[in-house]
Amino acid sequence: MGGHRPGVLGLIGLASFAVALEIAPRAGLVPSEYAPPTSRIAVALGRLVQQNEFWIALRDTIITWGIGLGIAVAAGVLAGVVLGAVPLLWELASTTVEFLRPIPSVALIPLVIVLFGSTIESSVVLVVYAAFWQVLLQVLHGVADVDPVARDTARAYQLGRWARIRYLVWPTALPYVVTGVRLAASVALILAITGELVVGSPGLGKQIEVARQSGAVANVYALVVVTGILGVLANVAMRAIERRALAWHTAVRRDVAGSAVKEERAEVLA
Amino acid sequence: MRRIIALFAAAALFGAAACNSSNGTPSTPGQPDNVNVGVIAIVDVAPIYLGKQQGFFSKRNINLTLTTAQGGAAIVPAVVSGQYQFGFSNTVSLLLAAQNGLPLKVVCNGNNSTGMADADFAGLFVKADSPIKSPKELVGKTVAANTLKNIVEISVRDSVKKDGGDAAGVKFAELPFPDQLPALQAGRVDAIFVVEPFQAAAIAAGARKIASSYVDAAPNLTVAMYFTSNQLRTSNPGLVTRFTEAMKESLAYADTHPDEVRTVLGTYTQITAEVRAKLTLPKWPAEIDKASVQALAEHAQSYGLLTKQPDIAALLP
Repeated sequence: MGGHRPGVLGLIGLASFAVALEIAPRAGLVPSEYAPPTSRIAVALGRLVQQNEFWIALRDTIITWGIGLGIAVAAGVLAGVVLGAVPLLWELASTTVEFLRPIPSVALIPLVIVLFGSTIESSVVLVVYAAFWQVLLQVLHGVADVDPVARDTARAYQLGRWARIRYLVWPTALPYVVTGVRLAASVALILAITGELVVGSPGLGKQIEVARQSGAVANVYALVVVTGILGVLANVAMRAIERRALAWHTAVRRDVAGSAVKEERAEVLA
Repeated sequence: MRRIIALFAAAALFGAAACNSSNGTPSTPGQPDNVNVGVIAIVDVAPIYLGKQQGFFSKRNINLTLTTAQGGAAIVPAVVSGQYQFGFSNTVSLLLAAQNGLPLKVVCNGNNSTGMADADFAGLFVKADSPIKSPKELVGKTVAANTLKNIVEISVRDSVKKDGGDAAGVKFAELPFPDQLPALQAGRVDAIFVVEPFQAAAIAAGARKIASSYVDAAPNLTVAMYFTSNQLRTSNPGLVTRFTEAMKESLAYADTHPDEVRTVLGTYTQITAEVRAKLTLPKWPAEIDKASVQALAEHAQSYGLLTKQPDIAALLP
């Protein structure tokens, strides 16, 4: 693998996509009134970023996303550790979890409209409901993954409950938690935008609807591009957190991962 | 124990709840009243944005917050519950609310049609090459309406009736305004009824106007009005009076300053400057055209949209 080639190729791919979207409407393959060429979207985006409303909407979406994700992660980790550590509790709760989990968060839209109206709380509730399960399930798997030998060792050394959680359960569960948070982060963004679009709580989704009601098609696409960029940034941020939180883990540590591969290869050759 | 997860989920669900009911408290002397008004981000509500900008509300000690909702259907319950102190809704939705006994009271006019058939802010359009030449030919055809059983449906039926056709014979399909022109061009509907800025888009796309239905419904149709809850009217009548005065001043100002209206449109909608410069503005008289409200109520009853005569005297100021 040679250095930066994948990144460069990715950018070339993205540029070709933009060019295709520029040509298709100009060639009449799609109606340009409803699918404007890339250049017109770029101009609309350039105008949007000069408006205060745009930045307020962006801030509102980030707040919705952040608060919702924060509540979901805190609640998910806590519930996951408690349920995972006490088998009786899990057996009692599992049916309820399996019943609630498949309910799509968007099905709660009529409920949140009645409870909170077109406020930021409405979208936060949708975000929390969708993101919570992602975290909870990962934490449950993580807690269940504790090495039995390590557990027996901890018991043999008579580690207390707190020490067991701190030195045994938490390090085992952490990679799962981080994966759960990363999954939850992208789901949270989807639900934040959906809530704003449908419920009308403040944010980029609402601005998309306002642009639509204003017949400003290029603005609609410009805002969609912004939500895409937001998604990419969220993912990059989550990966950075992952690398930091799991710096000790073999999946992240290049040196160990590399030597592990070499050992494996050596075994195969032998 | 069994429901621990359900409890937890419920706690997470309602954890973000904040009590936001601040309705019905009398004004504190020397303190401006915080007033939240539910509006829709459309051309019709330009006067209230302009009035806020001009200080018509702040000089009456009203600290005005304008919240845009997805439609009148979301505003009415929010005003009843006190989330908004005032709201903007079309006349038929308010008549329906009155018929259903909701405790609402109109405080002032919203906006009216221009009354000019060739220059209204809304219209009934067909495709350029459509064989339909006049509204009566819509019998048996499908017309797109933004909301079924509401003001658009009544007005379009009025156009058909006025043209000598069978008003009951027209079919309606519910389509949001932004989706109507594409549907017309694709042949999914035979006619559309759009307001600005989609009327400008329809004209630009070559669609042909066959009627100004708001003008056909009544000479100076009051399309929408501002309203409040009976609760606020009893608990703080002074605030309602001050809001009404500020609103009337805003309407009069908007009606005489169309260029400023076109500018303020750019602040709360995303209508492009080119479209803003050429779209047809509605009329903003300060007073409600009561005869047109009466006419709408009667037409709504004759088409079966209202089941009984609403108490118009109790609804209007």
